[in-house]
Amino acid sequence: MKMTTMKKNILIFSICACWCMLLVASCDSDLPRYANYSAYDYNKLDEDGGAWTPVLLTSPNQITITAPEDVGSQAYQAELASLKTTISNLNDGQKNAVSYWTNNPIIRWNEIALELAAKYNLIPGPNPDGTYTLPNPATPEGPSPFPFAHPAYTSRMLAYLSVAQFDGLISAWHYKYQFNRLAPYQNDDAIETAYAETMLPSYPSDGAVIAASSKAILSAMFPLEKTYLEERAAEHLGSLLWSGSNVESDIVAGEFLGAEIAKVALARASKDGMSKAQCPKPVSDSIKQSAIDRFGWYWQNLEIPPRPVGLAPLFCNVRMWSVPNVADVRPGPPPAIGSAEFVEAVNELQHLQDNMTEEKRKIANWWSDGLGSYTPPGHWNKFAKDFIIKYKENPLRSARTFAYMNMAVMDAGISCWDAKYFYHYPRPIQAIPGFKTILGTPNFPSYTSGHSTFSSAAAEILSYLYPNEASLCEAWAKEAAESRIYAGIHYRFDAEVGIQQGKDVAAYTLAKAMNDGAD
Amino acid sequence: MKNFTNLICLFAFLCMAGFVHAQTPFDAIMMKQKELCIAVIYDYGKFDEYWEGSYLRENQTIAEVSRHTIAPMVAVGLHDKLNFYFSVPYIKTESSEPNGGLLEGAEGFQDLGFALKYEIINKELGKGRLAALGAVGYATPLTNYLSDYRPYSIGNGTNELSIRGIIQYKLDIGLYARVASGYYFRGETRVERDYYYANGSYYTDWMDVPDAWEFNGVIGWWLLDSSLKLEGSYYAQNSTSGDDIRKYNAAQPTNEVDFGQIIFSTQYFIKPVKGLGVLAYYSQMVNGRNIGKSTNIGGGLTYQFGI
Repeated sequence: MKMTTMKKNILIFSICACWCMLLVASCDSDLPRYANYSAYDYNKLDEDGGAWTPVLLTSPNQITITAPEDVGSQAYQAELASLKTTISNLNDGQKNAVSYWTNNPIIRWNEIALELAAKYNLIPGPNPDGTYTLPNPATPEGPSPFPFAHPAYTSRMLAYLSVAQFDGLISAWHYKYQFNRLAPYQNDDAIETAYAETMLPSYPSDGAVIAASSKAILSAMFPLEKTYLEERAAEHLGSLLWSGSNVESDIVAGEFLGAEIAKVALARASKDGMSKAQCPKPVSDSIKQSAIDRFGWYWQNLEIPPRPVGLAPLFCNVRMWSVPNVADVRPGPPPAIGSAEFVEAVNELQHLQDNMTEEKRKIANWWSDGLGSYTPPGHWNKFAKDFIIKYKENPLRSARTFAYMNMAVMDAGISCWDAKYFYHYPRPIQAIPGFKTILGTPNFPSYTSGHSTFSSAAAEILSYLYPNEASLCEAWAKEAAESRIYAGIHYRFDAEVGIQQGKDVAAYTLAKAMNDGAD
Repeated sequence: MKNFTNLICLFAFLCMAGFVHAQTPFDAIMMKQKELCIAVIYDYGKFDEYWEGSYLRENQTIAEVSRHTIAPMVAVGLHDKLNFYFSVPYIKTESSEPNGGLLEGAEGFQDLGFALKYEIINKELGKGRLAALGAVGYATPLTNYLSDYRPYSIGNGTNELSIRGIIQYKLDIGLYARVASGYYFRGETRVERDYYYANGSYYTDWMDVPDAWEFNGVIGWWLLDSSLKLEGSYYAQNSTSGDDIRKYNAAQPTNEVDFGQIIFSTQYFIKPVKGLGVLAYYSQMVNGRNIGKSTNIGGGLTYQFGI
């Protein structure tokens, strides 16, 4: 009898435990690692894309490729036969690659770029003796791995990636319609594509241009990731065959074009001044002294141990994409410390600190894009990606969106950093005794706000390219700017002037975009 | 039916009073039916070193992080073999001054915790008694605190279900040994950003908080006619998944959190006041991964009575 009761007890307990386990287990779900979209019908082909104005190339045929074999040729027929064999023997990994890469792989390479930005956006910590060792491209493995993909670095990385993709695709479009060799499935009824059929000529392969240019740019920007990028590119190139999009010779020509345009872009990058952006302490000190002489104030890092040099004091000297001279877009000075306008801004910050709400906290965090994240330029790339998918853009159009936006964002960064170190304005934690924040204060001066400048420049470009989204983009930029005030790391005037500065910078990019022949 | 009505009344009372459990779902103590124990525990923990992955380091950005917890608890004997527990900790965290981050700490009510403990076996064996118990617990965030604000976050911000098996052998002279092992099923926590990196990109504002195993080994002694309890134990928790804190970067809820701690505790029942007890403990984390090397001290009052 006693034994029976015990068994019953165990049984009841077990049932209860199992039920509870199911309750929790059923809540588990797969969290998204990349954009959830499938290959789609392009909203248009942009047949005249080969006539658009490239950014770096002097003409779409600056890089020459040989004419393809005729569709009736033995060589091409052999390629079709080989493709059919390949397609009929796909394994699951290859099928997954086809559905992952889709017919707009610009999206995937942008995601890879953002992931690497987030992976490398780690600020070097102090050494035991209180010094800091900065990343060095000559010894990328460290002790502090290269790069530190901070917002300025990331804005530049994305600009070069997008510009190379864009110019490569303009060139590809030019040759596609010059040679007019259609996709394999248009030339052989026995071949089916995994994606939507299109009349876009397939020589050279636009996918291969994207794979080769992206691999080369990202390998230069993230030298420790060469092997990883090689693997991603190999899979992507494979998917072009497995999906029935291209024959081998389409891909070979596209790879060549992509690699060549990347060389052009990287040649510009190698002498754009970025290698000198992180200056030594004596230079940094002289910049600080200039501010003291001019304005009577200065910014200083309050970390323990203090960082001897702020982040990229000479990013202002990096070559801009569309603005002739960085001083042309430099805003006027911030309010003097102690002035009525300054006191008003400080009072607002103190009021916010004492009355933080969950809503404001969420806004501060939502836009924080701080260390370890893909940075504010990355955030705007995510928005651009979502619009590209929403409007079903072809790869050329997509590359154009990213290229103009990322050029404007990088220019905005350069201009913002110019203001930051020219005015060398103290952060709220430095200017207000006892002040605390809900986000970490970055290692550079306050005025103007990087988030505000990056965001409003990006919003200007996206508003032009997607007029239906203009009010949304503007609201986002405004909220991104506001978020820094809520976080306690910027004064209102940092944010408001930054918004205007971003617009001023973006105007130069917009002027180019409006006249590139695409609209 | 009567028991059920009592339970409802109790719930109403507990929710209003904001109480929780005192005899815990971790031990082998059972209260008789219609006994109630209320307790308030204060805990103070601090760390100035933490494990970044397996590397123990300090970080002047956060300096020394302290954590104050006040945990009101209630335990109820629903039946001689079934006890119910309830707790609502209030937590406050902050960094010592000076620190290089100048970040606000956090404070608020953490999670509403419930647990049921069931005595499966309790029988004489040799010169003592063998007991086997099972416990099921559930905790859910009581407020909208931000879990993604480590090291200041006051909790994981997720629903958590725990199951636990406990076996104790207690000699008639008062000496006892206990082992317990359990598993925490943890859900996802909603954070305030829609992209994060955790060994790769995540495009969502949900973070998966890793499940964890726990192990507890205890040796203790009831002295002075069962009015004084002395206990020494080792408690460990190990996540089943998760990423490491990245170099000189903040921790986040997706991290694999492992730790082992040594705990010494004592509880004394003050004979002149029937049912009143005091307890005190000290614990030191001795190994860990992605967690502060915390030293904690705590103490509290328990009061047990019939209803």
